[in-house]
Amino acid sequence: MKSSHLLACTAITAMLGATAPAMAQERVPPVEIYTTTESYDPIRYEGAFIIADAWRELGLDVTVSPLEFRTLLDRFYSEQDFDTTILGWSGRVDRLDPQFFLGTLDSRQGAMGANNPGGYDNPDYDALYDAQSREFDVEARRDIVHEMQELYMPDVPVVVLFHRDEVVAYNNTTFTNMNAMAGEGLYSEWVPLEAEPVGDRATLRIGGPQEPDNVNPLASTSVWGWKWMRLYYDRLVRLTPDVEPQPWAATSVDAVDDVTIDVTLREGMLFHDGEPVTAEDVAFTFDYYMNSEYSYFNAYLAPVESVEVTGDLTVRFNLSEPSAPFATITLSQIPILPKHIWEGIENPEDLTPDQIPTVGSGPFVYDRYDRGEFMSLTTNSDHFYADNISVDGVEFVIYADAEGVFTALQTGQIDMTAWRMEPGQIPLAEGNDDLTVVSVPDFGYFHMTFNTRRAPFDDVAVRRALTYAMDRERMVNVLLDGRGEVGTTVVAPVNAYWHNPFVERFEFDMDAARSELEGAGYSWDSEGRLVR
Amino acid sequence: MTMPPFLRAAAGPLKLMLQDRLAVIGLCVLSFIIVMALFAPFLSTHNPRHINEIEDGSVLTRGADVWELSESLGPLALNDAESMGAVALVVGRQGTVWSREGGEWVRVDVPVEADLNAVALQPDGRALVVGAGGTVLQRTGTDWRIIDAPTPANLQGVAWIDAAAALIVGAGEEIWRFDTATGTIEEIASPVGRGFALRSVGLDSDGTLLAVGERGLAVRYDPATNEAALERLGSSRDLNHIHIAPGGAALVTGERGTLLRRDTPDAQWVTDPAPDTRALRTGWIDDAGRAVAAGRNGIIMEWDGAAWQIVPTESERHLRALLIEGDSWLALGSDRFVTRLAPPSREHWFGTDHLGRDLFSQNVHGSRIALLVGFLGAALVVLIGTNVGLIAGYYRGRTETILMRTVDVMYGIPFEPFALILVLLFQPSLLIVILAVSLLTWRTVARLIRSQVLSLRERPFVKAARVAGASDLRIMYLHIFPNVMPLVFLELAIIVGVSIIAEATLSFLGLGPPHSISWGGILHDARLSGAWRTAWWWNLPPGIFIMTTVLSVFFISRSLEVVANPRLRARQ
Amino acid sequence: MSRRSYLIKRVLQAIFSLWIIATILFFLFRMGLPDPTAALITEGLNPEQRAAVRAQFGLEEPLWRQYVLFLTNAVQGEFGTSFSYRAPVSEIVWERLANTMILMLAAIVIAYAIGVPLGAWLSWRRGSRVDTAGIFFGLMFRSAPMFWTGMIAILVFGVMLSILPTSGMRTLPYDATGFWDKVLTLDFLWHAILPVMIVALYYLGSPLLIMRNTMLEVYGEDFIEMARAKGLRERDILYKHAARNALLPVVTQLAVTIGLAAGGQVVVEVVFSWPGLGREILNAVRTSDFPLAQASFLIMAAFVITLNLFVDILYTTLDPRVSFR
Repeated sequence: MKSSHLLACTAITAMLGATAPAMAQERVPPVEIYTTTESYDPIRYEGAFIIADAWRELGLDVTVSPLEFRTLLDRFYSEQDFDTTILGWSGRVDRLDPQFFLGTLDSRQGAMGANNPGGYDNPDYDALYDAQSREFDVEARRDIVHEMQELYMPDVPVVVLFHRDEVVAYNNTTFTNMNAMAGEGLYSEWVPLEAEPVGDRATLRIGGPQEPDNVNPLASTSVWGWKWMRLYYDRLVRLTPDVEPQPWAATSVDAVDDVTIDVTLREGMLFHDGEPVTAEDVAFTFDYYMNSEYSYFNAYLAPVESVEVTGDLTVRFNLSEPSAPFATITLSQIPILPKHIWEGIENPEDLTPDQIPTVGSGPFVYDRYDRGEFMSLTTNSDHFYADNISVDGVEFVIYADAEGVFTALQTGQIDMTAWRMEPGQIPLAEGNDDLTVVSVPDFGYFHMTFNTRRAPFDDVAVRRALTYAMDRERMVNVLLDGRGEVGTTVVAPVNAYWHNPFVERFEFDMDAARSELEGAGYSWDSEGRLVR
Repeated sequence: MTMPPFLRAAAGPLKLMLQDRLAVIGLCVLSFIIVMALFAPFLSTHNPRHINEIEDGSVLTRGADVWELSESLGPLALNDAESMGAVALVVGRQGTVWSREGGEWVRVDVPVEADLNAVALQPDGRALVVGAGGTVLQRTGTDWRIIDAPTPANLQGVAWIDAAAALIVGAGEEIWRFDTATGTIEEIASPVGRGFALRSVGLDSDGTLLAVGERGLAVRYDPATNEAALERLGSSRDLNHIHIAPGGAALVTGERGTLLRRDTPDAQWVTDPAPDTRALRTGWIDDAGRAVAAGRNGIIMEWDGAAWQIVPTESERHLRALLIEGDSWLALGSDRFVTRLAPPSREHWFGTDHLGRDLFSQNVHGSRIALLVGFLGAALVVLIGTNVGLIAGYYRGRTETILMRTVDVMYGIPFEPFALILVLLFQPSLLIVILAVSLLTWRTVARLIRSQVLSLRERPFVKAARVAGASDLRIMYLHIFPNVMPLVFLELAIIVGVSIIAEATLSFLGLGPPHSISWGGILHDARLSGAWRTAWWWNLPPGIFIMTTVLSVFFISRSLEVVANPRLRARQ
Repeated sequence: MSRRSYLIKRVLQAIFSLWIIATILFFLFRMGLPDPTAALITEGLNPEQRAAVRAQFGLEEPLWRQYVLFLTNAVQGEFGTSFSYRAPVSEIVWERLANTMILMLAAIVIAYAIGVPLGAWLSWRRGSRVDTAGIFFGLMFRSAPMFWTGMIAILVFGVMLSILPTSGMRTLPYDATGFWDKVLTLDFLWHAILPVMIVALYYLGSPLLIMRNTMLEVYGEDFIEMARAKGLRERDILYKHAARNALLPVVTQLAVTIGLAAGGQVVVEVVFSWPGLGREILNAVRTSDFPLAQASFLIMAAFVITLNLFVDILYTTLDPRVSFR
């Protein structure tokens, strides 16, 4: 009895074993693509459907769910509850340093709410990330950065879909010498400094649909706030239009050793209220930021341990660890605030709009800001750079939408657009002789991130196959009207110094996609559905 | 013959409606729209979501100020062209070869079907054509011969080394030397060997050949040593084409407006700033300092001696080849290009949108969502409203208080913002849109029905029914309800109109059901694209459809109002 | 029931409705909308930093305490600080409300000023071609979605003829400080023409048809027959006797329309880039700006409820047949 029972069990086990391969043929779980709504970004929206169509051809069950932008961010970052998501990173000047974008694949950024929601985990990559961050020698650092790109590409934890050109325009009958800057377009901190009036009006008028969240340097968390504030606050270092660090309020930045940086300030600088700019102000500002609740600059300030005043015009930065981006990014982003005004303010983030101090030392002086309508600055004739500035002021006119901006540009109410034009407006602008259209490549990117913690995207073969099945060339041609570029690595090709052109590419190839899947043991059932 | 009371109630209004001319018009138009919705797939000429693209053997001719569109050479894309003296050849997809004979283009039959990518001519008229799948064709006189290739490589470029040999390059980094005397191909080792694509090759003035390819790859082949060596041109962009003039001026074009120029054989390569960042596919330069480059989306730029200037073209076709002889300048293309923003034509009755999708089909399909939301939403509203009104009016007391307080609260909520919030909260879907449209509107119906019921419940026939022992439900639905029927129909009609507009509004704001086609959605797309200011064919029809549909519903409702309100009837 | 206690009862009911709406809104937003700090991720903020911002917004408190705080503040007319503007919500909301009301009131006044006499006239010419045409056009503008008529108007007057401005409230930049300074200018009127015209055309249908229909009813009343018998002229009967008695439903409709006006016509504000409350609420919900969204919506609701209350009171005053039930 007992033995026969045992025998039966064995027989069943054996049978199970024999039939196992056949029974293991399970359908690959359905996947959901999250993307933006059509009104938020028609390009990512349509792109998702183009991808979904190709994936369905591979026998995958795909749905596309467009989500409101905030909801999308919440699902993707805060909850990490997604299969695969289409989102983007904007190209801000401080992201030209590869630190930030490479960090989005670091496994230590994989926690909820952090920048690597896909959960790519590659210890070799992490080690290289630390190495490049500590490497002060630029060429050595570049080699590591190149190696990182080559390392992660075959795993495709994220697909850089494309880089979209910012197409902006200016009125060539009112101003010349308007040089666009990668990632910033025309509304960069240099255009107001370099623009030369050719008409009667010397005040540069910028128009855009966005406005600052506020102009409180201790509360603003938007690019639009900082793009404006940068014009009237000085920084120690400024990034040139070619994105090289150039001493600005500092005359020299010297690395005493890996973790000690001495900075000497320019002589004779004055705040807009007439007080001199001293080392005290610099040290105060850094301390003030480090001790405040305000977190916008935290990532930049993280390596700073302390700031010492070593003379009237000299300060020393002590870093807790070597930081390659410190001199370029940190010093070019933190404004110099007047100590005598800010030191008495306890909770700077709670200031109401009319309480916010607007005194800086920059090349322009704050004039006024009417919410939703208008902002203006006047040129600071006492500034050390004043002789090079041709405009007598900068005005920013805020319109409700891109339509309003474009109409204003066409009718000559504004001289340049702060934000890209809609695809339908570009041909109209090109047909207008008074307008010069500028196409600025972006080093920010639109990406599709796979949730590598979740089937089927935990399988690198699936990720590779699905990447082959994305016709990104077509997306650029059809959706962007050719104004853009198919993505390769997270460091964009326009960021030529750091970009590694010799990485694996995944050009659209359905056969390659199929053979990738077959190679990993996938097959198709009688109805053409993908099984494994 | 006895009819159920509710049918009798319905027949009366219908008769009255047919006397009203506007109502009859409304009924006709509405039926037409309903038929359109039901048979949308049969009526529409295209798939409304399909991005319409055309491949064409396009030819653009340089006119005085613009490049003008000339008569096409067949329906297939043209990839390369070369002329030498009186001889000119154009090659293209699927074995397309055109030869110019006596000033006329003549289609030549060749023994292959493969896509042909490049052509190279000799002064005596001999030609080599290469293409996909290892296709190598040699023309001698009028005779075409297929040359055996060592592998079925995708061959991209070809150039003559001398009268007896040519160099062929391919997408797998192939560098092949072809010997006409023996008819054989010799494979030359590439200095890189990573399978990077080579796209084009040209004969340099010193007798060597320079091939360019993806990732800025440049390989120089020296026939004397029969070896290939890596060369740096100063770009890591994908390079698509190289053209070298007999005197040594050279132009390399590539992705992202890449323009590499060399004025003399010894000069350094210069990267020129391009006025446009779209892909350049082909270029041409001569030793006199003239140069042209052409590429994606009809981009053509010409060198004016100091800078590259964009020259307007009449069409956004993708240009792949230039054929320049003296003053006759031709640009050839085009692989599939999107027929964007085309005005109404025989192919697209209502024109196309910014992605080349057919607007007539979109408008036809749009009727479905409008009617679905309109009728389902209205039915839901009337269902809830009527029942709440009946119950509140009939039972009175606490039931009435609770129901009517709820109605009061709902009256305090502004409709449009609430519907928007609801959709934003729950993510757009058809169900949510219907709910958003109907969740508030039933308040009016409930109030109206209740006040009617209040007076009806005191009427003798209700009292009689109650005395006869009829149940509450029976009294409510069999005795009172038929008497409020005209009012219900009236409200139904009005709310259908309101719902259609509400749905259009939500869709216009981008809150409609995702990836569905609706009239409001078409207008949303039009506005979003920024092209609606010029593309009248895009924004006119959907609005007219919405208007006529709602108008016809309102006409019907007006005649129903006469039914519901006998005093009006007497005066009409 | 006395008139006074009726009034008190109605006011209490209105307050009750407002409270219910406020409560529903509060929880709906907090449960249904994404984290207001979600967008900060794209600016590179890590989870701890975002928690700090949340604390600043008062979102780390328990929900019930947030609710109590919200209610007590709301009673005092305080709605807190907007998350996105970092400025007091009340300032923003009042300004936007004023912008909306200017647009809507101007349109409503025009619509009624034209619609009422026109409706009366149509009733007098009942059955004629003029009557049919009047009904047709009144209903036509009511049937055409305003965003579409707006777009067409912009296309015709703004783009093709380029005689009227198509977006915003005034030419920028300008030099004005106070609110009235900004509004009482020709430039403002110039900008208001198109949007006001579009809204007015939409609203025109309802006073027109209501007036026409009630007039038809009134014609049957005894006192009109009396007037006729006295040999008064038709025109006098029409305007002096009939019209006066037909006004009540029109006034009711007017009050209800004004009440709903605070909610604005979101699409008109969107199409004409009018900085009104409707657009603001759409943005506030999209950016999870709870204080701003709550305040905007509550003020709209308060408007509607107040005007409805006003209508009820008006009825009890004008029409003695309505009992204080």
